[in-house]
Amino acid sequence: MKKIEAIIKPFKLDDVKDGLSGLGVKGLTVTEVKGFGRQRGHKEVYRGAEYQVDFISKIKIEIVMESGLVAEAVKMIQEKARTGQIGDGKIFIIPVEEVVRIRTGETGKEAI
Amino acid sequence: MTSAFEELKESKQHLTVLLSDGGAPHNFQETYTEIIDQYFRTSLQESETAHALFKAKTPFALIAVGGYGRKELCLYSDVDIQIVFGSKIPSSAKQLAEEIFFPLWNLGLDLGYGIRSIKDSIALSRNDFEVLTSVMDARFVGGYSPVYLSLVETLQKKVVTKKAVAMGRWLEDQYKVRIHTFGDASHLLEPNLKEGVGTLRDYHYVLWLARAFFNLRIPRDLEYMGILSHNEYKTLGDHLALIWLVRNHLHQLSGRKNDRMAFEYQEAIAKRLGFKDQRDLLAVENFLSGVHASMASIKSLYQSFVTSHISRWRRVKIDAHKKDTVEGLHLSQGELNINSAPTIFSNPFLLIQVFEECSRLGCHLSVEAKRLIREFLFLVDDFFRKSERMTQSFVNIMRMENTFETLDQMYETGFLEVFIPEFGNIINRVQFDAYHIFPVGRHALETVRHLKRLSKEKDLLLIDIFSDLSTPETLFLAGLFHDIGKIGKDHARKGVAITRNILKRFGYDKKRAEDILFLIGHHLFLVETATRRDLSDEKVVIQCARTIGNVERLKMLYLLTWADSKATGPGAWSEWAANLVQELFFKSLHVLIKGELATPRASHKVSKTHSEVRELIGAHMDDSDIENLFEAMSPRYLMETGPHDIVRHHALVGQLKEQLKNSQVPAFVFEAREEPGQGCWEVIFLAKDRSGLFSDITGVMALHHINILSAHIYTWREGTAVDIFRVTGPLDPIQPDETWKRIKKDLKNAFTGKLSLDYRLSQKAAPCILSPQKKPSRPPKVMVNNESSDFFTLIEIFADDHLGLLYRIAHTLFKLKLDIRIAKIATKADQIADVFYVRDLEGQKLEDAKQIEVITQSLLHQLNQR
Repeated sequence: MKKIEAIIKPFKLDDVKDGLSGLGVKGLTVTEVKGFGRQRGHKEVYRGAEYQVDFISKIKIEIVMESGLVAEAVKMIQEKARTGQIGDGKIFIIPVEEVVRIRTGETGKEAI
Repeated sequence: MTSAFEELKESKQHLTVLLSDGGAPHNFQETYTEIIDQYFRTSLQESETAHALFKAKTPFALIAVGGYGRKELCLYSDVDIQIVFGSKIPSSAKQLAEEIFFPLWNLGLDLGYGIRSIKDSIALSRNDFEVLTSVMDARFVGGYSPVYLSLVETLQKKVVTKKAVAMGRWLEDQYKVRIHTFGDASHLLEPNLKEGVGTLRDYHYVLWLARAFFNLRIPRDLEYMGILSHNEYKTLGDHLALIWLVRNHLHQLSGRKNDRMAFEYQEAIAKRLGFKDQRDLLAVENFLSGVHASMASIKSLYQSFVTSHISRWRRVKIDAHKKDTVEGLHLSQGELNINSAPTIFSNPFLLIQVFEECSRLGCHLSVEAKRLIREFLFLVDDFFRKSERMTQSFVNIMRMENTFETLDQMYETGFLEVFIPEFGNIINRVQFDAYHIFPVGRHALETVRHLKRLSKEKDLLLIDIFSDLSTPETLFLAGLFHDIGKIGKDHARKGVAITRNILKRFGYDKKRAEDILFLIGHHLFLVETATRRDLSDEKVVIQCARTIGNVERLKMLYLLTWADSKATGPGAWSEWAANLVQELFFKSLHVLIKGELATPRASHKVSKTHSEVRELIGAHMDDSDIENLFEAMSPRYLMETGPHDIVRHHALVGQLKEQLKNSQVPAFVFEAREEPGQGCWEVIFLAKDRSGLFSDITGVMALHHINILSAHIYTWREGTAVDIFRVTGPLDPIQPDETWKRIKKDLKNAFTGKLSLDYRLSQKAAPCILSPQKKPSRPPKVMVNNESSDFFTLIEIFADDHLGLLYRIAHTLFKLKLDIRIAKIATKADQIADVFYVRDLEGQKLEDAKQIEVITQSLLHQLNQR
């Protein structure tokens, strides 16, 4: 099992979500996050005063799935989170040791 | 188990079932209190320890205190009880407590008990107001009643009368703490039924104050002593009964002592209370409106009780210089009063003037003034509403400092909805979701409150923007009316129509009215654009800027967006959302200030182009397709291209699509035509965009000695490159078409990798005796500019022109992994002045100083080579 974490632009969330549910992904977690990448924030100037903008607002989605599905899911996120030639964001793939469904105690594949 | 316990268990079970079936007695809490009383009485009779204590002449009384003392036990309320001894506490008291109290824990009751002597009890009450108020509610349950009487008498004599004023002040402070912690329940969507302002606590304050100042014994004394009228007392009873009933259901549904009526329980309670869905109001929304109305009534009763009867301990500040007011009104104890009822009759104008004065003086209306206003609301008729004097006063109030406080009192007295009947539709409208914490009417007032407090905000940007506004009053009116259309779907649009009528009735300045209507119609525009559209897409921002139209409106819209969100609830203005809205604000601001793309002229030009294109191709396409077409074109393209050219390009795009459909490789469209009388040609090139495309084209042109005089390269949304060149004609003017054919062939070869442009061009540029080397007239210049655009880094290049120069530049940019989105090529005599709008392959501007240096040096290196 793997966990996919993807950082994408907010307005792409619906596209990515629809793309993933089209693949049969059963559930995903969405978080509003802030951060910076290569560009460390920037300054805005209004009437001579400077306003430092440190972080950019992004969306983080997290999905846990069987390893076999990962390649397809990543491709889908890549495709949906892109605007034409331009792509922005990152996808992380992390191994997951175990999953437990709280209600039933089921583990592994059944619990995803 | 004792029989007392079994009896209690059974009775409580019975009562609980009745409650869930909806058949509970009207005064559930009294019945429940009596069941508990009965338990204590029976268990006293059954207790041997109790018998022994009486025999040993150490009499005691069982005394209920707090809510139990007031007979207000709800299903999971704490039961507070004390064993009070006349003098010393005997050692067997502990055993007595175990016998009577411990069984109750088995029943899951939250029992708070104490064993005290009268002396202890008095001492504790003296030092702690919380204990004092609880003991003031003491009620005899069982045991030896003289002990109880003695406690009550001593308490009254030694503590209550002496501490009354101090207690009053303490309650006043507690009231503030409650506002801060629990808020005003009468307009919160998840109110706290016990501690919120306007709930049971307000009533308790009345009881305690009346006990302290009027020696009240039972609640009904409020009426018997003339503190409340018969009707007021009766209405109070009804409102309290509702809150208690709701509280009991809430306890039962949550299975614990829970006084915060969260959303998850509201639908179930509304159903149990028999509320039904009505036309456009859910049962639960109806229910909540009812609860709010009861709370508002309790709140106002408490306030009028305090002002009319207990003013002794109130700390009132009066500013001497503010004392003067208008005829018919007077200030007393810092509150504004209306002289008499007949004054209003002879001068109905006072009904609004009193609010105007309130606003001007920054004071509150007296309880009596509020009562008079309510009584005379019938004087506010159509004539009154249209009268210029009245509407002018209202607008004045919107301008003054204390607008919110004044509107709040207008709201409370009902004046607001009578003066602006449209407001009545939204006043108690509740939205059943977890996002809004206020009903709509209150939300509107809160929005005004936030706008009025802007100058005291921590965020300096908000303050700066606010202080720039030329007519803040427009913003305040927009804040007040922004949700007035919330009587169904599409509320922003409905709100515009409703507000238009109101402002017309007001005879309000037309230009400002247009601003207000715009703000109302677009009050969700910034948030929606910021969270749902791509802010790094120049077109999105340009359209946003064009929709808003000018800087003043943008500023007001930003502030309205902020205040609206703040007034919605804590979740609505997170830093996350704020960041996005702020980004959109700045980008739109820059577009508007720079002007070229979003001036009224630009908007006008673009819409003219739209309609002309529509006329030219309207017959072949339906409206939505034409809209999609405009949607796909870049804003600069639409600005800079004439309608006939657009139609032509559109046809060429059709050709390209056809090629792509037939999987033709490489797919591209190339067309050259002579510009009559200009001595130059126009070349149009279309292909699917990719990096390096521009560099290939320029390379092939150079190979055939075609000099590019100017170039406009655009990218349409789905990634179609549309490049328009003005070039010098082919060397062979007799048979130009031959040259164009060869160029097309070379383009094909270059795209498929069969032609090495680098090699061929280097051969071409080799020194030749026929073209003597010229010295550059001045050194080339490269400037990287990040300020001019929020979307692109501009690279500006000035240099002497020579064959293949443009290719070298474009190729270098390509090698540096830069994406050229727009290029403006201009050649004058033998000098070029080119501007390239570039981004990196992730769509970001180039902000890294090192990277910029590399780019500059690489370009200079190319420019210095011949």
